[in-house]
Amino acid sequence: MGIFTGINTAASGLTAQRTRLDVIADNIANANTTRTEEGGAFLRKRVIFRPRVSDPYWRSPFTPEALDNGVGKGVRIVSIEADRDSKPRLVYDPTHPDAIKFGEQKGYVEYPNVNIVDEMVDMIAASRSYEANVAVINGSKSMFSKALEIGR
Amino acid sequence: MIYTGSFGKNLDILRRAMDAAVVRREVIADNIANADTPNFKRSVVTFESELKRALDSERVEHFPMLLTDRRHIVPDEPIDYRTVEPRRVLDYLTTSKNNGNNVDIEEEGVLALQNQLQYETMSQAIGSQFSIVNLVLR
Repeated sequence: MGIFTGINTAASGLTAQRTRLDVIADNIANANTTRTEEGGAFLRKRVIFRPRVSDPYWRSPFTPEALDNGVGKGVRIVSIEADRDSKPRLVYDPTHPDAIKFGEQKGYVEYPNVNIVDEMVDMIAASRSYEANVAVINGSKSMFSKALEIGR
Repeated sequence: MIYTGSFGKNLDILRRAMDAAVVRREVIADNIANADTPNFKRSVVTFESELKRALDSERVEHFPMLLTDRRHIVPDEPIDYRTVEPRRVLDYLTTSKNNGNNVDIEEEGVLALQNQLQYETMSQAIGSQFSIVNLVLR
């Protein structure tokens, strides 16, 4: 427990939400990218969050207090993973240089599996979470400045 | 602020309550930071009810019973309020989102504000304790 632990915890939330916003921006920017280094259309990226704890992670309702991992230290991003589960968007455009040349889907172009509406909703959620963390930091600041007024 | 009990004890209780408020703030900050983490469960801090139990137990008249054997159990011994520590309790039974997370960001915001005002009130109470002493010393 310390004065700045709460602020650091909220700051980890700020970093995580900021990265999430960056990833969403990247997804929206590449919504029509059909050619990538790996080949094929761009794949939508997702951030994976994990709670940050100082001690090894072990949790059970029967855990004795000595094994409890204490107050959490915030959140961290473990990885940014490509969404390989959802199918690419198919658009019929035979004159496109990246159009499929053979098979049943001949003439179709594979566009990224980015759904703009989903990304916008995600963006709003991320910026609201960011604001919530900012509110925590501001609250902590005024709390501790009040404590400094003791004895004044 | 009603001035009962000793100056030192009042100050000590307020200090402990402020420490508990700091721990609670850390826990709320952690809950809010993890509002989008899958399978994260929120925690709460319990302190005030335990403190009240300890302070009430000091006030009750205790019926002294003779302990003639080491194995006798002492009935309702008064609890020392200094042994009361803020405890983090995991709210593992509820789920409010599809990803197994149970953080309600509005609720946490209200709790954070409540806790902040509580902290500021207590710091003001400590200040008024000192100002009472100042009044006497002047």
